[in-house]
Amino acid sequence: MWKTVLRRIMIMIPEVIILSLLVFLLAKAMPGDPFTGSINPKSDPAQLHHLMEMNGLYDPWYQQYWNWVVHLFHGNLGNSYQYQEPVTRLIGSRAVNTIWLALLTTVLTYCFALPMGMFAAKHEGKLPDNIVRIYTYVTYSIPFFVVLVIGIWIFGYVLGWFPTTGSVSATANPGLPTAGSHLYHILLPSILGALFGTVNVVQYLRSEVIDAKRSDYVRTARSKGVPEKDIYKHHIFRNSLLPIAAFAGYSITGLLNGSIFTETVFSYPGMGLLFINSINYRDYTVITALVLIYGILNLLGTLLSDIILSIVDPRIRIE
Amino acid sequence: MVKTKNKVILSAVTLLAAVTLAGCSNGNSSSSSSGTTAQIKLKSSFKNSAATDKNATKNGTLKLAEVADSPFQGISDPVLASNAADSHVFSPGGLNNLFTVDKNYKIIDGGLANQKLDRKAKTATITIRSNGKWSNGDPVTAKDVEYAYEVLGNKESTTSQYSSDFENIEGMAAYHKGTASTISGIEMPDGEKGKKVVIHFKHMSPSMKFSGNSFIWGSAEPYEYIKNVPIAKLASSEQIRKNPIFTGPYKLDKIVTGESTSWVPNKFYYGKKAQIGHITINVVSSNNIVKAIQSKKYDSVVPSASGEVGGTSYKKLKNLKGYTKVGQPALSYSYFAFNLGHFDTKTGKNVADSNKKMANKSLRQAMMYALNVDDVAKKFGNGVAWRGNTLIPPVFTKYYDKSAKGYSLNLKKANKLLDDAGYKKRNGSKWRSDPKGKKLTIYFGGMSGNSITEATYQDYLQQWHKVGLNVKLYGGKPMEMNSFYDLLQKPSQNKIDLWTAAWSLSSEPSQSQLYGETAPFNMGHFVTKKNTELINKMNDSSAWNDKTRTKTFKQWQEYMNDQAGVVPEEFNYVWQPVNNRVKGFDFSPANNELFSDLTLTSSKLK
Repeated sequence: MWKTVLRRIMIMIPEVIILSLLVFLLAKAMPGDPFTGSINPKSDPAQLHHLMEMNGLYDPWYQQYWNWVVHLFHGNLGNSYQYQEPVTRLIGSRAVNTIWLALLTTVLTYCFALPMGMFAAKHEGKLPDNIVRIYTYVTYSIPFFVVLVIGIWIFGYVLGWFPTTGSVSATANPGLPTAGSHLYHILLPSILGALFGTVNVVQYLRSEVIDAKRSDYVRTARSKGVPEKDIYKHHIFRNSLLPIAAFAGYSITGLLNGSIFTETVFSYPGMGLLFINSINYRDYTVITALVLIYGILNLLGTLLSDIILSIVDPRIRIE
Repeated sequence: MVKTKNKVILSAVTLLAAVTLAGCSNGNSSSSSSGTTAQIKLKSSFKNSAATDKNATKNGTLKLAEVADSPFQGISDPVLASNAADSHVFSPGGLNNLFTVDKNYKIIDGGLANQKLDRKAKTATITIRSNGKWSNGDPVTAKDVEYAYEVLGNKESTTSQYSSDFENIEGMAAYHKGTASTISGIEMPDGEKGKKVVIHFKHMSPSMKFSGNSFIWGSAEPYEYIKNVPIAKLASSEQIRKNPIFTGPYKLDKIVTGESTSWVPNKFYYGKKAQIGHITINVVSSNNIVKAIQSKKYDSVVPSASGEVGGTSYKKLKNLKGYTKVGQPALSYSYFAFNLGHFDTKTGKNVADSNKKMANKSLRQAMMYALNVDDVAKKFGNGVAWRGNTLIPPVFTKYYDKSAKGYSLNLKKANKLLDDAGYKKRNGSKWRSDPKGKKLTIYFGGMSGNSITEATYQDYLQQWHKVGLNVKLYGGKPMEMNSFYDLLQKPSQNKIDLWTAAWSLSSEPSQSQLYGETAPFNMGHFVTKKNTELINKMNDSSAWNDKTRTKTFKQWQEYMNDQAGVVPEEFNYVWQPVNNRVKGFDFSPANNELFSDLTLTSSKLK
């Protein structure tokens, strides 16, 4: 298996190179540059040209690309034009926020979805099943940003239970209060994300459980007199987790993608918001770095999913 | 500067492409509301009659919101910052301003430093007050004043605020090129630790009397504190981002990068002592600000010259209980400009082309008379925006020409102007053709914003259609901001014939950078001999006399209105709601102690 993994990683290299080239060229093809619009009656275009030159933005694209690649191998993704600080530091600080938000959302999603899926499958075709199904369909069909806007309005502004902006309180003392404040800030978006993001897990789990219920080994277990509770716990549940496990690889790497909607509505400084801003400001270095990271994460996600799958289900081997 | 997305000017431009930082080196700004044609009258101060609650003030927190749709950049140094949001979130620290100003932004004595101009010797002498200190207790020295110019002019500096105007300082050009290691024209007679700086200029300009001029920088740099950081790395350094020091009434207590700043009184401040225990400033997105104020999460927004809450918010917030509205004319305006020539990159001059589609003055005037800007401003501006009548906004009380008529709706006049100039409908066509009988299609450009922007553009097109002009929106829809300026900043372009956009202004109103012959930002390339003459006269030796200078400004306004090469669209108020528990709020430009004045009358928001 490790041979296969290695081979997969080798194949990723040309993929990443092509991706980086595409990203680089597309970013440059956008109209404007990091300094368009940075004009006011007192600013001097000569200084803007000077800055463009200093940053090598007038060089031919292949030279810019080459410089970028050379820096990349030195672990230097360049400086953000907008934020005037190293891209690695900028992304690093945003990534932390995004990961915490995504992690809590994912954990809560599974906490809600797994019992719901089991419950629905257990009572297949009956009222509880229908309720869960309607719930998942309704939550699935409401656009998420609508949920966020309504959520922040009710719980943030009207009831005032949750903070509505940022990732931490401006006045929190260092140490435990700050950590608590961080948690408090991601609670509302995470709960909303989890409540309205259950559909995949619930539906996969439900249909798997229903399949498993009818399978031979369950019938055998039942005929042996294994208690119903144990059948679900030991026989059905584990086997039904397979498709969800396959999903997990993507989920883990997807943590970093950040949610553009959530971060925008809650003014939460994470990767999603950074991505949107960097496009608006033509912050090339940040755009290329982010897209490259996303690309690599997706490739890794596929690989991870395959590996997890093969661990969970010994019948599956990647060759 | 830069693309701040403040919804300041409602109609034409939600993307204010420029928010001047150089000019806003005073945390507060703008003048009283007298002499405007606004539909509502707002006062720039809120003198609360309730008594100050000493306990609430000392232990309380004043909560301010900074309206921004992206995290702020966190560059506390005014020389290096390039975004209005940064200057807002660090404003309680005073932005290291050197000078205090009067209501006309004229530099007066009494600030961290005094300035004295000597026309004969061609010098400016800056004397720092003896008790001027940084928030870490270090004294403010001559080197601190000088170092600002070094950071500004250094070849490696990341600032976008350097301009060739600074090369008026002796030796600056050589320093900027890197051929000299110091600026020879800046002298420290009492040494680096002294309190006196003498700047030698090649020529003197009357604009030097005003804050925000392009020759004398208005803030100090904490040299001792940052001297070990290479200038190229200053913007990303800890000293600037994590633990900056200031000279103002408050010092930074905590910063959450991109999100919030919190402030406590600075005991080393030379002026009126700060009274409120804590000030916090949180970034709130423009979509949330109305709700955030309505649910009383904030006392107010950060007082600023560019304005934080626009006209749509005004409609929603004006009757909110517990808050008082304050406002003053903005340091900005939106405008229409016509494409009249090109920029000659060899000579560095704008050249008017007589063969341009819009070269005919009558055509331009007619197009402006055809517009109903008054109605648009009334409908969408909610009283905080109104039709501009001249290119100097009313915030410049002294220079603003109140009596200027500008262009109000007059279809009859528009038609007559077009008929007389030979723009007639020929061969039964619905549209007018040009005097030579050729088909005339005019392309109008504008930036995308909100739904109001789009509706406004459609209204303008409709008005032009009414007088028989075939005007089309370039590209069929509003343009994305980068594409828009990318096109207009080309030395020559024939795609857009007229457009609308906005300028945020410096507090020094000279016009050479915007409409001068050599100004690269004169994107319509409007150049005439008379215009050049008038613009030069604003800062020649005659202009040292305030009366003459004022007269020149009025003449120029009259001339520009007649020529209609660039025509004002709307003026607006910067306004903000202030919670009734706040006392002593006054954001007129003459108030240099805005943050020190504030107290609280209760511990909870009203």
